[in-house]
Amino acid sequence: MSPRVRLRYRISVVLHMVMAFVIMILLAQLWLFTVTLEAMETGEASTNVVIAALVCSLVACAAVWALIRLFLQAEEQQ
Amino acid sequence: MSSRVDMRWKQDFPIPSQEDSYVTRREFTKFLGLTSLAFFLGTFTAAARKLWKRAAGTPAAVPVAHVDEIPVGAYKLFRYPTENDPCILLRLEQEQFAAFSQNCTHLACPVHFNAATRQLVCPCHKGFFSAQNGRPLSGPPRRGLAAVAISIRRNQVWVELSHEERA
Repeated sequence: MSPRVRLRYRISVVLHMVMAFVIMILLAQLWLFTVTLEAMETGEASTNVVIAALVCSLVACAAVWALIRLFLQAEEQQ
Repeated sequence: MSSRVDMRWKQDFPIPSQEDSYVTRREFTKFLGLTSLAFFLGTFTAAARKLWKRAAGTPAAVPVAHVDEIPVGAYKLFRYPTENDPCILLRLEQEQFAAFSQNCTHLACPVHFNAATRQLVCPCHKGFFSAQNGRPLSGPPRRGLAAVAISIRRNQVWVELSHEERA
């Protein structure tokens, strides 16, 4: 296996890991969305929980965009 | 002649037609990013509605019935806190009243009181709730009916939002 092919293979593995991580973050965001929706409909969850869910969702969104940026940069370097 | 034209066309566009529908990695990541943004916007909207409701303040308590107006085992329908919120007031015992939102927590069908079984029944999908505390007993609903706080003042039944609803 040539060094170039090995490098490409390694980058491909890393990129798959990044994609799996992004999908996990998206699932977490979906859960946060359901928690907030439940709070809106029933009023059972406190306001602090809603604010925490909102902040976590914002952080997750920023993380997804940062990871995608890294992903695309790595792809271009390859 | 025709085949020569085909060849030139293929040189200009060297992508086989079956590969046209392939989603590129860049497109897929863009889709994931936009999905994340959509989840955030949904969470933001739900949170904003919840906080807006809280900031609007607690609606004042209102009288909905005279005590003698409802016999034991009977009920009265009313709307609280807005005209779009149907509620049901039950008289379970001589001194015991209970009030709940009339919207079933499954798909928002109106629930009815069955005095014989002392249950609130949703006729749409056979959901049953306890008339004592609004907890789901059987059927599709998983959450209890939203309770409305009750107080008796000057021989009248007053209702206001319960502590859970105010939070």
